[in-house]
Amino acid sequence: MRLEIRYSTEFAYPSMVRESHNVLRACPATDANQTVIGYNVFSEPASRVLSYTDYWGTRVDTFGIRMPHNRLVVAADSSVETSARAEPNDIRLPAAEYRNDEIVTGFHEYLQRSPHTAWGVDVAGIAAGLVSSETDLVTAVSAIHVWVGERLDYVPGATYVGMDVNEVHQQRQGVCQDFAHLAIAMYRSQGIPARYVSGYFYALDQSIGTAPEEAEIEVQTHAWVEVMIPSWGWWALDPTNLQSVGDRHVKIGHGRDYDDVLPLRGTYHGTETHELGVAVHITRERLTQQQ
Amino acid sequence: MLSRHAEALFWMGRYVERAEDTSRMLDVTFHNVLESPPAEASTAWRELMEVLYLDDALADTEVDAATVSRYLVTEGDNPGSIVASIALARENARGVRDRISSELWEAINRFHLLLGDRDLAADLEVQPYEVFRLIRDRCQLIAGVASQTMPRDAGYRFILLGLMLERAEMTCRLLAVRYTRLLHSGRQMGFHAWLAVLKSVSAYEAYIKEHRASFDPSRVLEFLMLSTDFPRSILFSLRVAEDQLQRLVPDSSSSSILRLVGRVRARAEFCDIEQVMDEGLDQFFDALQTDIYEVGAAVEKQFFRTGTDLELHIVEST
Amino acid sequence: MPNAPSSATTVGAYTRLMPETTSTKALTQFSEVFDGDEIRPHYRALMQRFSELGSADLAHRATLLDAIFRNLGITFAVYGGEEGTERTWPMDLIPRIIPAGEWRHIESGLVQRVQALNLFLEDLYVGGQAALNDGVIPRWLVESADGFLREARGISVPLGARCIITGIDLVRDGQGVYRVLEDNLRVPSGISYVLENRVALTRVHPVAFAHHRVRPVNHYGSSLLTALHAVAPPASAGEPTVVLLTPGVANSAYFEHAFLARQMGIELVEGRDLIVDDHVVSMRTTHGLQRVDVIYSRVNDEFMDPVVFRRDSLLGVPGIVSAVRSGNVTLANALGNGAADDKGIYPFVPAMIKYYLGQEPILPNCETYLPWDADQLKTVLDRLDQLVVKPVAEAGGVGIVIGTKAGDAELAELSEKLRNNPRGFIAQEIVQLSTHPTLVKGELAPRHIDLRPFTITGSHTEVIPGGLTRVALPEGSLIVNSSQGGGSKDTWVLAEDPL
Repeated sequence: MRLEIRYSTEFAYPSMVRESHNVLRACPATDANQTVIGYNVFSEPASRVLSYTDYWGTRVDTFGIRMPHNRLVVAADSSVETSARAEPNDIRLPAAEYRNDEIVTGFHEYLQRSPHTAWGVDVAGIAAGLVSSETDLVTAVSAIHVWVGERLDYVPGATYVGMDVNEVHQQRQGVCQDFAHLAIAMYRSQGIPARYVSGYFYALDQSIGTAPEEAEIEVQTHAWVEVMIPSWGWWALDPTNLQSVGDRHVKIGHGRDYDDVLPLRGTYHGTETHELGVAVHITRERLTQQQ
Repeated sequence: MLSRHAEALFWMGRYVERAEDTSRMLDVTFHNVLESPPAEASTAWRELMEVLYLDDALADTEVDAATVSRYLVTEGDNPGSIVASIALARENARGVRDRISSELWEAINRFHLLLGDRDLAADLEVQPYEVFRLIRDRCQLIAGVASQTMPRDAGYRFILLGLMLERAEMTCRLLAVRYTRLLHSGRQMGFHAWLAVLKSVSAYEAYIKEHRASFDPSRVLEFLMLSTDFPRSILFSLRVAEDQLQRLVPDSSSSSILRLVGRVRARAEFCDIEQVMDEGLDQFFDALQTDIYEVGAAVEKQFFRTGTDLELHIVEST
Repeated sequence: MPNAPSSATTVGAYTRLMPETTSTKALTQFSEVFDGDEIRPHYRALMQRFSELGSADLAHRATLLDAIFRNLGITFAVYGGEEGTERTWPMDLIPRIIPAGEWRHIESGLVQRVQALNLFLEDLYVGGQAALNDGVIPRWLVESADGFLREARGISVPLGARCIITGIDLVRDGQGVYRVLEDNLRVPSGISYVLENRVALTRVHPVAFAHHRVRPVNHYGSSLLTALHAVAPPASAGEPTVVLLTPGVANSAYFEHAFLARQMGIELVEGRDLIVDDHVVSMRTTHGLQRVDVIYSRVNDEFMDPVVFRRDSLLGVPGIVSAVRSGNVTLANALGNGAADDKGIYPFVPAMIKYYLGQEPILPNCETYLPWDADQLKTVLDRLDQLVVKPVAEAGGVGIVIGTKAGDAELAELSEKLRNNPRGFIAQEIVQLSTHPTLVKGELAPRHIDLRPFTITGSHTEVIPGGLTRVALPEGSLIVNSSQGGGSKDTWVLAEDPL
């Protein structure tokens, strides 16, 4: 599927601010399931962008604006070709495989608590119950996935960035980041390597996830999970809507949690109050006319 | 030099001068009211508060020698108190210890410690003059040590610039309040009142030498504003400040700050005292104070705010 | 122990690290000055001089020394004490002497170690991480080091010089063998004392220097500046502008920061004095912005850039990491050196030396146990009252427990900590530290000492002859840290050809 994506953020300040510095992660990854055909980032006021690939393999764009401004627009346009993803349906492995030392040392980073996935005994206890009742590894992974999707209701505004994962679990509400963090916390508590994925999702309602009728839609950034299936690879799962991660999911990058792939972070000097507008527009390119 | 260092030196100079000027005014007001009826004493203390832009402070209190002197010397709530000024001067000096002579640092640090060691509130009740003299002496010592131990580099010039702008402003305020009050009341200003004004800026002896004991309001005013020899006159202070700026600005030909300070100095220098008194002193002093304030603001903008004085914030966007 | 490898994975390469002897070591200690009843040859002239001084004279000179330091304002701030407490650090009148041959050994060992550490860091941050892939150092161990900065991945540095300024702590064991106690590759402090101690001793007791050719140390500032020029971005035009970045006057080592800036004749700046524009760093001056090429930073990595690091801190210079990444400015030391001086990585430095340089380590480590290995944890818990346990990421002696001096309750608490967070600690055999005569209440008495030599690496690695000898002043104490009752000595390295 060919998707054209525009990520844009606009900061508006009531008075002039200066010396703004920003770090942006909005460029789709290139991997076995997707290919970036074009990517272009710009800011207004204009700035010189320094781009690099970070530790996690994600493209990062950094830029600063020194002169006074009361509005900053950051936009990233990308064009990406996606394909359907394989699922480990035929894999039959015992759940105990995760206690293998190669997994324990080889995926150390994806097994630790991190600021957004610091599970407590309650979360670990539920995860243990789900995993121990399954002897098959893939089924065990699915069990946690489904449990999280059913446990939480998708309620925008019910949580905030940085909210404790155990609290999210308690209040049973959240947005895609919360679904992902809770699932990751549960996997890791059972020694199952799991990582956080930031990306775009071509669906009008990310909590349902059905394919849109319209070619062009406005969405928000999305987040899901990748779980390591030994001898197979990373299995992408979207607990927010319990749909398969397929060609409508566009991955930006992955990390231990949100902090490693957060879309935009910046600093500036000036008034604390600001208005922030984020918009993601995705257009599906109909290639039928090309014959 | 680093803007931060220049700023610290500038304010160090200002705070020391502010402490000295405040103690002078306190000292003289004390003397003055000793010989006045109680009602006038209260007025005199109110006037002093007004000179220091503190009209609102102590508004609900009966002001007398004790309340005002305590407020102006030791009051922790008053950021302009002498103790607070010296603490701030010391704090600024500490940040630039490498930029000032050890003698200068020691002079400021010792004074700060000395103020902390004494029971100033008690001393003010039994021997206020001694306290005021001590403050004046120590401030003068600091200025003297600076002048005797610092090379005439940019650092020294920023200290002197801060000191002179503060002095010009303080003298201006003093004259503004005393003269306008007087002219509005329409009373004849007595001998003691003139004495007090002159003494508060250590100008009594210098004035007598030049004009003998003839206290003509316009002459006193002219002396304190325009004397080119007396180091506390407004004109003298502005000239020294202007001189420092001429040496600090890299390209003097196109400098807006030099044009500004030159204009301000000239406006004071070439004014006609009689005409000013006829047309209204309050207006004149208002304008002059605004001028001096603007020079200070221009110094900030030109030398210190090359970056930003605004607070840093972090933003995130999902 | 959640998610740490069990002992089964750690057979092979890592078990070599297990100390060969686990029996209780005889608690012998090495005397720097005395060999039995004899005074060692290189100390004879010095001890003769001091024996000629009466105890009143000694006391008088000691008082003079103290006065010099107080008047110079050479102090350090004491954390945890009363606010704003500043103390002088007592300097002992009796210098420590290192003969030329011994120094050659130390020097070559330090150069070798710094080389290997630089190669490891270069491999880790811009290379293929060969040492991790080849299993020389466990990958998970590096990934769990607090000082491993993922944000520094991909940032290259001129000349591959990442450990530009180091202070590697050495001790001498019971046999007099110099051993590395820890690597300090981030913001090591103490060099100002090396320089000031020398000045102070020449003033107070010039005669002591007669009969010796003591190698000078006062070229430190110029050597450091040369190295900092050498690592300037290749594109910088003319003489590079170097600044020293300090956290500010509240920092315990502020005196040293100001001292070093003066020694090098460079500007001492704080974060707010710097600004990044278009990925270029400049300082804010009264004449506008002035471009900066090299920053000798005494600020901890995580407080360098609020855009990239901790979101709870507004300290640092926003955008500086991207400027460093662009190659427009060089940071000394490089970002992320904490991955190599983590105490959990320390046991693998000898392996690094073999791997990267193909050489045997000249200076051995102290015998160290890794509690994340189940077998070693058992040994450590069994012998907790005989070992010293250190948290991996602390500095300045914080959190160290000496088994022989700890009570039962403290040991029980420590066992619990080790079991819960085995990666967070290492355990070592207690090294008795060599002793040296030290003036205590007017009399000479043996006190334990260590040595922190300083290296400078630009185009090559240079070791300043001598270093900081720290002395534990309470009798029998092995803790030399300034914050815990330590003092210092002037350290003399003798020239190759004697007088």
